[in-house]
Amino acid sequence: MSITILALESSCDETSAAVIRDGVLITNVIATQTVHENYGGVVPELASRAHQQNVVPVVHQALSKANIRKSELSAIAFTQGPGLLGALLVGTSFAKALALSLKKPLIAVNHMQAHILAHFIEDPKPAFPFLCLTVSGGHTQLVLVEDYLKMEIIGQTRDDAVGEAFDKSAKLLGLTYPGGPLIDKYAREGNPLSFSFPPSEMPGFDYSFSGIKTAILYFLRDQTKRDANFIQDNLYDICASIQHSLINMLLDKLIKAAKHYKISNIAIAGGVSANSGLRAALQNLVPAYNWQVYFPKFEYCTDNAAMIAMAAHFKYINEEFCSLEVSPEPRMKFGV
Amino acid sequence: MRAKGKPIQQIDNLNIDDLPNASKNIIAFAQDYKIWLFEGEMGAGKTTLIKALCEALGVVDEVSSPTFALVNEYVNREQATFYHFDFYRIEHEEEAMDIGVDEYFYSGHLCFVEWPGKIPSLIPDEFLRIFITINSDNTRKIVLEIV
Repeated sequence: MSITILALESSCDETSAAVIRDGVLITNVIATQTVHENYGGVVPELASRAHQQNVVPVVHQALSKANIRKSELSAIAFTQGPGLLGALLVGTSFAKALALSLKKPLIAVNHMQAHILAHFIEDPKPAFPFLCLTVSGGHTQLVLVEDYLKMEIIGQTRDDAVGEAFDKSAKLLGLTYPGGPLIDKYAREGNPLSFSFPPSEMPGFDYSFSGIKTAILYFLRDQTKRDANFIQDNLYDICASIQHSLINMLLDKLIKAAKHYKISNIAIAGGVSANSGLRAALQNLVPAYNWQVYFPKFEYCTDNAAMIAMAAHFKYINEEFCSLEVSPEPRMKFGV
Repeated sequence: MRAKGKPIQQIDNLNIDDLPNASKNIIAFAQDYKIWLFEGEMGAGKTTLIKALCEALGVVDEVSSPTFALVNEYVNREQATFYHFDFYRIEHEEEAMDIGVDEYFYSGHLCFVEWPGKIPSLIPDEFLRIFITINSDNTRKIVLEIV
């Protein structure tokens, strides 16, 4: 008897549905214009309303592309949190209704755990135990992963997420939002050692990114006072220096944690793991520390239902189902 | 009893070490106003001040930036609820309506609101405005105003 799961993701901006069979991903549909072309609709830039409009076509397309009938499903999975309440409600309600009408078990998935389990969608898959640095617009976490569903947050940000630090630094530079990818792009042309921004010292493996944002603000204020064209004349160097500082802060704690836990399998996850500077810097550490590093494919870094389906597969095997009373949890945590 | 008119108070030359004391002053000044709007440029220290206020109010949860989730919910030792909003990333007021912002604002619980300028028409009529500016020596000036 095969295990076939339909998974829904609606924690933030993307509406996504995926079908997985026996741990092998069959379809992963993310709401884009192409989904809407089939339905003649338009995507408004409103998170939960967009989810409401997207969820039916996205699920329909995921099932039909997989050539799977609803009756063949073993379970329905959804993102319970963390995320935006209004957005999570759409996926949660839809999954509950579907589970109820099909009389199938329901699986609630933690979005942050799923980001890590995205590493098991395709080879090469990390061996346990491994450390995962999960970095996105909303999160910065160092996670010790001992098994598929046994993982513990050993460090996290006390204030801003690193993706937020990228986006807000970009805003201070007058770049458009979200500016994180633009900083990455300009950083490739600049000298990362042109300017230095002091890292915030935090106890243990925790992070803080609000101090560096303020340091950047002071720096730009003082420099533009002397030279009004400072930002435009030095944009590439400033971006390279900001990126270098943020990545150093991320990697400093990662190195400390790897030493402390004596772990050499290192993974990154989340939207910011697409950052080319972070990938290169991590790769550069491999010879020095004898690490095995794992980068997920770009399409599994950003929010997607494939990772929710992957997590749900492991939860199905563990028989971790939830009742129809379940509600979204915008600040959902995980750990032992 | 609420003070009449538009009381204003100013706290100047504020360093990070002064935050616990400043927080007590702000809490006393705020009387029973439930909507506290935090204005100031990026990096001015809105989230940092809210962290200090939460500390003074006995909040037991970790106070962090809600830029991603738009709203964080905290409780204090007496189980009172606090809402912390950050509307920085929204582009349309409808997005704030979608998260049910009215229900939070009129819940009777204290609401800390960063970037209120993004949702001008959704702000209740009565509020405390906390305006933070950075002085040239990097100390902060906080202006409190009851509207």
